[in-house]
Amino acid sequence: MKAYRNYYLKKIVWFVITLQCAFILNFILPRMMPGDPVAGIVARMAQGMSNATGVQAVYEQYTELFGTDKPMLEQFIIYVRNVFHGDFGYSISQYPRTVADVIKSSIWWTVALQFPAIIVGWILGNTLGALSAYLRKGFDNVLLPISIFFSNLPAFAMAIILLVIFGVSLKWAPTSGGYGFDMIPNNSWEFVWSVIVHYQLPFWAIVLITIGGQAIGMRSMAIYELNADYVKYARFLGVKDRKIIMYVFRNAMLPQITGLAQSIGTMVGGALFAEIIFSYPGLGSTILTAVRGGDYPLISATTLIITIMSLVAFFVLEILYGLIDPRIKAAQSE
Amino acid sequence: MKLNRFTIVALLLVMLITGTTSPSVAQDTLPRNETLYFNGQQWGSVVGWNPYSNSNNNAMAIAQQDNARVLMFETPYLYNMLDGQVYPLLADGPYTWNDSRTELTFSINPAAHWSDDTPVTAEDVAYTWATHVKYNTPTAAANVDYIADIVATDPQTVVIQAKLNDAGVTVNPLLVQAYVSTNYVVQKAWTQVLEERVGGDATALLADPAEDVVASGPYYKFFADDSKVVLIRDDNYWGQDASMWGKLPAPKYLAHTIFKDNAAGTTALQAGEVDISQQFNSNVQSFWLENGLPISTYLPEAPYGIGASLPTAFFNLNSYGLDNAVVRRAIAIAVDYPTIIANAMTNQSATFDQVPRSLMNPTAGEQALYDHDAVAELQWAGNDIETANAILDEAGIVDSDGDGWRELDGQKLTYIATCPNGWSDWQAAIEVVAAAGKEIGIDITTNFPEWSVYQTVVTKSDAPLPEGYDIFMMWSDGAGPTQPWSRIRKMLSSEFNGMTSNWNGNWGGYSNPAADELIQAIPQETDPAALKEMYTELVRIYLTDIPSFTLMYRPQSFHTVNESVWTNFPFDGDGTNPPVPPLDLMDGWSVAGLYNLVLVNP
Repeated sequence: MKAYRNYYLKKIVWFVITLQCAFILNFILPRMMPGDPVAGIVARMAQGMSNATGVQAVYEQYTELFGTDKPMLEQFIIYVRNVFHGDFGYSISQYPRTVADVIKSSIWWTVALQFPAIIVGWILGNTLGALSAYLRKGFDNVLLPISIFFSNLPAFAMAIILLVIFGVSLKWAPTSGGYGFDMIPNNSWEFVWSVIVHYQLPFWAIVLITIGGQAIGMRSMAIYELNADYVKYARFLGVKDRKIIMYVFRNAMLPQITGLAQSIGTMVGGALFAEIIFSYPGLGSTILTAVRGGDYPLISATTLIITIMSLVAFFVLEILYGLIDPRIKAAQSE
Repeated sequence: MKLNRFTIVALLLVMLITGTTSPSVAQDTLPRNETLYFNGQQWGSVVGWNPYSNSNNNAMAIAQQDNARVLMFETPYLYNMLDGQVYPLLADGPYTWNDSRTELTFSINPAAHWSDDTPVTAEDVAYTWATHVKYNTPTAAANVDYIADIVATDPQTVVIQAKLNDAGVTVNPLLVQAYVSTNYVVQKAWTQVLEERVGGDATALLADPAEDVVASGPYYKFFADDSKVVLIRDDNYWGQDASMWGKLPAPKYLAHTIFKDNAAGTTALQAGEVDISQQFNSNVQSFWLENGLPISTYLPEAPYGIGASLPTAFFNLNSYGLDNAVVRRAIAIAVDYPTIIANAMTNQSATFDQVPRSLMNPTAGEQALYDHDAVAELQWAGNDIETANAILDEAGIVDSDGDGWRELDGQKLTYIATCPNGWSDWQAAIEVVAAAGKEIGIDITTNFPEWSVYQTVVTKSDAPLPEGYDIFMMWSDGAGPTQPWSRIRKMLSSEFNGMTSNWNGNWGGYSNPAADELIQAIPQETDPAALKEMYTELVRIYLTDIPSFTLMYRPQSFHTVNESVWTNFPFDGDGTNPPVPPLDLMDGWSVAGLYNLVLVNP
C-alpha cells in the first residue's frame, strides 16, 4: 500500500502544480493576443454618433469598466476575484452578461451533443477495430479503407455531406437549429421529439469521424498485441482463444482509454464545425467568437473549464491505471 | 414499449436541456400563418431590452440609427430613405423650427399610449433626454454637443433647444432635427423605476437587462434564447388609432432564428423557414431563375436593391508615394470595378456606369444634390489601365531599374492592401485592387488580419498607420436624415485626425481646409441652390484629391423575401404612397410594410 500511496501523492502534487500553471497561462495567453477588445464595443456604441468627443468618451468609459488599461498584476487579481466569485466577471463581447451566464446557457447543448457522440463513436470504433484485427480478410479489407476515409475527412466536410444528402436533398432531417424553428422550448414530448430530430445530423457528423479514428487505432493495437510473445506462449499452453482475446483487447484498450479521457476532457471546446454548419446551439462557436473578439474573460473561463476537465479526466485515469495496470505497482515497488 | 439504456440516457439529456432552457411561456409553437420570420439581423444571443443602452445585442428590438428600428420602441418621427422625408409616429404633425432656428417644436399624438395603457407625453420625451445626459449614455455623448436641452412646455408639446455657438447660431441644425427620427422615447415612470433599482449608478443603469421595460411599439418581447428571439404583437397598440395606421400589423409574431453563418440562413430561406432575409445571399437571382422558388427582391433585375452605403478603400496618406495624387488616381482608375461588382457582390450593386461615382449614394434624392455635368470629366468607371499608365508615365513615375515595378524618386512603389479576414466580399474586392496594381507596375499585395486586430489599428488615428495598412477598406454611412452631409464629413473631414479611437471616418488622415470649411457650412445652409453648389464642390475636391475610392454600392439592408406564406412585400413601383423602402419592415418608414402584408393562403 505504501507504493500506491507514494504513487497517488505524486500524482496529486503534479495535478496541483499543473492546475496552477494552467490557471496563470489561461489568464496571460489571451491577453497577449494583438488587438483591443474594447474597440469592438465602441464599434457598436459609436453607431449613429457623429461627434468625435462622444466616441472618445465611450471608449474611455469601457476601457475603465473592463480594466484593460490597468497593470497586468491588477488585472490578474481582479480575474482571481471573479473566478472565486463564480461569475468570471463580465463578458466583453456580450456585455452586460456575465461569463458564467454565457457559459451556462450553452454548455448543456455542447455536453449533450458531444458526450454521447464521443462515447458511441468510441464504442463502435473500438468494436469495429477489434473485429477487423481479429477477423482480418474480407471484413478488414472493407473496414480499413472506410475507416481511413472517415478519419481523414475534415469535420466540416462530413457535416456538409450529411447536411446536403440528408437535410437538403432527402429532407430526412432538419438543416439547422437545436429544435424546430417554429417552437418555443417547453417540457412537452413534441418538443423533446423536435430536439431529438434536430440532434441527428450533428450527432452522426461527430460519431462517423470518431468511429474512423478509433477503429484504426484499435485495429493497430490489437494486431500488435495478437502477435505479442505472451499470446503465442498462451496458445502453446493451450489457453482457449476466447480467454486470450480477452487479455489482448484489455491490453490494446489502454491507449484507447487515454484517448477517450482526452476527448471527454476537451469536449467543452465544442464541436465547432457541427455547431456552425447546423447552426446548433453550443459553446464552440461562442468560444470562436470570443477569440476573434478578444473577449479575455470568456476565453479564460472556457479554457479554464477545459483545462480542469482534462486534468480531472487524466487524474482519474492515472488512479485507475494504478489499480488495473500491475506494471505501475511493480514500478512503484522498485 | 421497452426502452434500451441508450435511449433512456438520450432522453434524459434532452430533458436536461429543456429543463435548463425552458422559460415560462404559455405557447409551445408559433403558428406559421401568424409568424413572420427573419434572418440576417440577430447574430448572437439577446443580452437585454434596455433602450438606454447600445449593448443589448438585440437587433429585433433596439437600433437607434438613421433609420431607427421601431418594432418595440418608437421615435417621434420615421425617416423614409426613398423620398428623404420624415413622417410622424409618436408625433402629431410635422416639427417646426423657430425663425432663428434655435428651437425645434413638435407635439405628441394624443392617441399614443404605452403598453401599460398610460399616455405618452411630452414629459416622457424630456425625461428620456434628461436621463441620457444624467447617466452619460452613448445617446447623450452623441448629441450633447448639439442639443442644449429638451423640455415639455405642456403635456403634448416638446421643445428641443439647440446648442448655440459663440455667435448665437445653432451649432448643427441637421443633427438637432435628426434626433427626432433616430432616438426612442422612453417612459418616464419606468425610467424612474430603473433609476431606483440601480441606485443612481450609471454603469448599472446601462447594464440593466430591462426585462420589465414598458414600450409603446406594435410588438413586445415574447421569448429569447441562444437559438431565437420572438416578439409578439401588442393587440392594444395605440397605432391602430385612425390618426396613425388605422389597424394592427398583420403578423402576430415576429421571429428571428439565430443562425451561425450566412450559409445556414440561406438554406432556411430556400426551405421557406425565413420570410425576410437581411443577409447577403450570393447570386440571389438563382433562387427564382434556377430553383423556381417564390423568392424575390425589391428590384427584379440587378442590382436587386437600392444602394445606400459606399464601401470604400482608403489610402494611407502617410505611406510612401500615396501622398502623391497621381499615384492614388492611377490605382483608383485601374481597378476593375465591374469584376468587383460581379464577383464580390454577385451584381447586387449598381455599376459605376449606372451611377457615376461621387460622394452620394444611388438614391434619387442624393443624386439630385450635385451637378453631374460639372464633375463628369473627373468621374471614372474603372479598368482604365491605359490612362493609369499614361498619367504615371507623364508624372515621371516609371520603372527605371527594369524590375517591372515603377519607382518614385528612386524608391519602388510597393503596398499592402488589406481588410478583415473572413469578410469574403471585401476580401474579393481587395484582391481586385491588388490585381490592378500589377497591371500598372505598382506592387500591391494583400493581407487579411483578424477583425479584432484590424479595428484596433485602423481606428487609432492619433498616430500614423503601421506597415501593412497602405490601402484598406472601411464602410461609409448609408441613407439617413443627415445624409449625404454626414457621410461626406466622415470621408473627408480632418476633425477626426488625431483621435485615439476614431470610429467616425477619414481613417487615411486626409486634410483639406477647403473641404473642412464646406462641411462645417452645409448644416447651416437652407438654400437648395447654394447647397447643390457646395455639394458639387465637395465632389470635385474628392474626385480630384482621391483620398479614398468607393469599390461598390451596398444596400442599407438586404431585402430578399420568400412569398410561400406571406405576400405583398414592398417592391419597386408597388404603388405605396409614401413609398415603403426595402428595409425589412422594421426600420424607419419601412415598418409601414407590416400593415400591408397578406397571407398567401388565408
